[in-house]
Amino acid sequence: MDPNNRLYLNFGNNNDRLAASDRTYPTTPSTFPQPVFPNQQSGSAQQQQPSGQPYQGGYPNANYFMQNQGQSQNQYPAQYAPPQGQDYGQGQQYQGRSSTPGTNDPNVGLAHQFSHQNLGGAARAASYGARGPSPAQRPRTAGSSAHQQQQASYNSYLNAPMPSQTPRQPDFQPAPERNPEKYGTNANNNQKKCSQLAADFFKDSVKRARERNLRQSEMEQKLSDPNQNAARREQIWQNGGKKEGRYLRFLRTKDKPENYATIKIIGKGAFGEVKLVQKRADNQVYAMKSLIKTEMFKKDQLAHVRAERDILAESDSPWVVKLFTTFQDANFLYMLMEFLPGGDLMTMLIKYEIFSEDITRFYIAEIVLAIEAVHKLGFIHRDIKPDNILLDRGGHVKLTDFGLSTGFHKLHDNNYYQQLLQGKSNRPRDRSSVAIDQINLTVSNRAQINDWRRSRRLMAYSTVGTPDYIAPEIFTGHGYSFDCDWWSLGTIMFECLVGWPPFCAEDSHDTYRKIVNWRQSLYFPDDITLGVEAEHLIRSLICNTENRLGKQGAQDIKAHSFFRGVEFDSLRRIRAPFEPRLTSAIDTTYFPTDEIDQTDNATVLKAQAIANGKAVEETPEMSLPFIGYTFKRFDNNFR
Amino acid sequence: MDDNNGSGDDVLGVYHLPRPLPLWLNPAYAKHIVKGNFMTLSARPKTVDQGEWIAHQVVEHYRNLWNFVRVIHEKEEDGTTTCNANSCPRMSAGANHSFTWLNNKREPVELPAFEYITLMQRWISGKIDDENIFPTDANGVSFSHNPSITTTPLSQLSNPGDRDWVGKRSGFPENFVEVCQTIFRQMFRVYAHLYWAHFTEPFYHLNLEKQLNSCFSHFVLTACALDMLKPQELEPMQPLIDLWAANGTFPPGSKAYDYANHRAGDRLMQLGNVA
Repeated sequence: MDPNNRLYLNFGNNNDRLAASDRTYPTTPSTFPQPVFPNQQSGSAQQQQPSGQPYQGGYPNANYFMQNQGQSQNQYPAQYAPPQGQDYGQGQQYQGRSSTPGTNDPNVGLAHQFSHQNLGGAARAASYGARGPSPAQRPRTAGSSAHQQQQASYNSYLNAPMPSQTPRQPDFQPAPERNPEKYGTNANNNQKKCSQLAADFFKDSVKRARERNLRQSEMEQKLSDPNQNAARREQIWQNGGKKEGRYLRFLRTKDKPENYATIKIIGKGAFGEVKLVQKRADNQVYAMKSLIKTEMFKKDQLAHVRAERDILAESDSPWVVKLFTTFQDANFLYMLMEFLPGGDLMTMLIKYEIFSEDITRFYIAEIVLAIEAVHKLGFIHRDIKPDNILLDRGGHVKLTDFGLSTGFHKLHDNNYYQQLLQGKSNRPRDRSSVAIDQINLTVSNRAQINDWRRSRRLMAYSTVGTPDYIAPEIFTGHGYSFDCDWWSLGTIMFECLVGWPPFCAEDSHDTYRKIVNWRQSLYFPDDITLGVEAEHLIRSLICNTENRLGKQGAQDIKAHSFFRGVEFDSLRRIRAPFEPRLTSAIDTTYFPTDEIDQTDNATVLKAQAIANGKAVEETPEMSLPFIGYTFKRFDNNFR
Repeated sequence: MDDNNGSGDDVLGVYHLPRPLPLWLNPAYAKHIVKGNFMTLSARPKTVDQGEWIAHQVVEHYRNLWNFVRVIHEKEEDGTTTCNANSCPRMSAGANHSFTWLNNKREPVELPAFEYITLMQRWISGKIDDENIFPTDANGVSFSHNPSITTTPLSQLSNPGDRDWVGKRSGFPENFVEVCQTIFRQMFRVYAHLYWAHFTEPFYHLNLEKQLNSCFSHFVLTACALDMLKPQELEPMQPLIDLWAANGTFPPGSKAYDYANHRAGDRLMQLGNVA
């Protein structure tokens, strides 16, 4: 038994304990720092014990057991035994009770229940009747002192000498050697689901209870404010209760895509699409990403879906796009996220080609903070690129796409990259229609650059995506760390100022080669003048990992002279250089919806399924790879 | 005095347990994937309406239970299941307990456990999916009354003199508690069957006994705390409840702890140390 595989509960009212640990290790169960069963007496159990205490009235008189031999319940503390002891009557009682709910039952006639008990027979009952002290004499209170007393006397009773030489049969059935093989594949699959779901259940429940306790104590703090009048206090209480209640309803409800009306498809990728949707129940607007399960499965993206779900679910950062809930059906995984109407940085770069140094400074500074936030959550993004940098209503940056949208996530598979580096060009089939002449190792040809720019979006949507921003250590397989995201930052900054990413080539194969040979291929075009500090910062980021700025943390980057005068702490509060101008909550001006095929993937898949005559999976959330994917955030689900 | 052959002197004797004792009563196999005070997960948040909390717990525990049932109940490709009419001709929990359904003539009938569980599942999900019993509309949500803060007691919100019941203001029906008690009782029987008939085959072999223990002990703790199970209904699993009170799974102060026979639990712990 690995102690690290254990969850620890007991967080209750001791907020000091959980404050520090709560965030840092979001997915590992071993990090709840509580000792095993710490002072059970003082836990939150008492604090939150529901009020009803129905059994306290029933101390029976001492003759009870003598009069009612044959009771099957005779081993219970007597106050819990039913008042009458006939076996037959007992059965009737059960029957009567259970028939009631059956009356409005859809399966009338079947679903009634009744308990039949084969009692031990007269001999056993008699031996019990003759037995020594009745359990009813046991101190009833749960207080530890009483219990210990009892235990002490009991122990001495047990310590009586045993007939030591009598051969005895074992007390317990011997445990056989475990043999999971003797069960079928389905049972073994279900074993995995079961194990995972049970762990997830406790992990999620602990997290929710913790957060609930925090909300509770915040509310109590508000209530204890002496300036609060009675009406306001009542309001606080009621709102608190309703909000918790709505969340509980949300938890026990299965969400489904039909609950949302599609307004527009705002993005399409190899693994799915992103739609602007409106929840039918309350007209709230969201971005709904739907990922095609079979594609995810084929392309080996499952771990990455999970990683993305985890990071988004854990994060509460203004720099990370907010995930409200995830759900699934037979064909898709759905992620319901906040809609960021400003579009993405890729679209901005396509539109403006280059940014001034001031505007670049703003975006790069914000991206530094965003990457820092992700790193603080314990994640390496590994795929920072303009497509994944979204702009919110105010034009500020948020990161998205933690592990999806493109195929560059076989990050641990060194062979995959080695093949790409050594082998032949691997032009993906879905890009053959946008064949462009190969761009040479040193890009200088403006016309070709423009071609590249035109194919930019197509590339972003392809399975293979663009490797332009990925750090070389990820390809070469010698290991990578947090600083690989700072390399990506350097390449984005280059693109903002120069107009194309430093290693761009028409073919991914060439891009890889250029990135790995960055010492030769990093080239600042002569016709574009960069500030000395800007170029220095880029060169400090696009370099070998030993010398890379940010290796010791984001503060070194923030301290670079390029950012002189930038106030990082208040950056998100200043006005962005570009603020989206929106006419409504569902304005998609900043998304290239004209260029996106507005046919829903669901429609396509349904048509395919009908054509293939495929049966639909019965319980989609139970298909093994997607176990535990479902997530529900407390906030903002039910505004 | 301290022998293990089921003499009346043994505090466990009253349970008429098979000897040697079932594997799941061995403290070494009564362990968990979680440690700590489970009450933190069962206790109703103060502001939350009691009906809402019960509904939440019903659904959570039903989902948990079904994770285990699936293992014994779902067909392999060749159509076989671990729990079948041969392995479990009755819905039993040891030799002393078996459970029957009422047929449409309201007669109790014995069914193979597999059929029983199928019916149970259909019946429970019929309840849980019924909007009239388990409403899900976010607008219908209420809160718990707190005499020191909320001034309008629940009953006065409607006509005075109208009957009141748990969950009324949140839209739960009058028989809601009764329905939930029945669901909990049914789920308890299934758990009891899993322990008595399937603990070793397959859960132990599949390394799931700790998961089963954690989910079932949380179930018992919650069901007792919310009065969804009466103490006498725990009988088929009483020795395990005793053991969990003794090994700290059920914290003092919880009803499950109060319902335990502590001497029996201590005895099992002691046997576990000897073994």
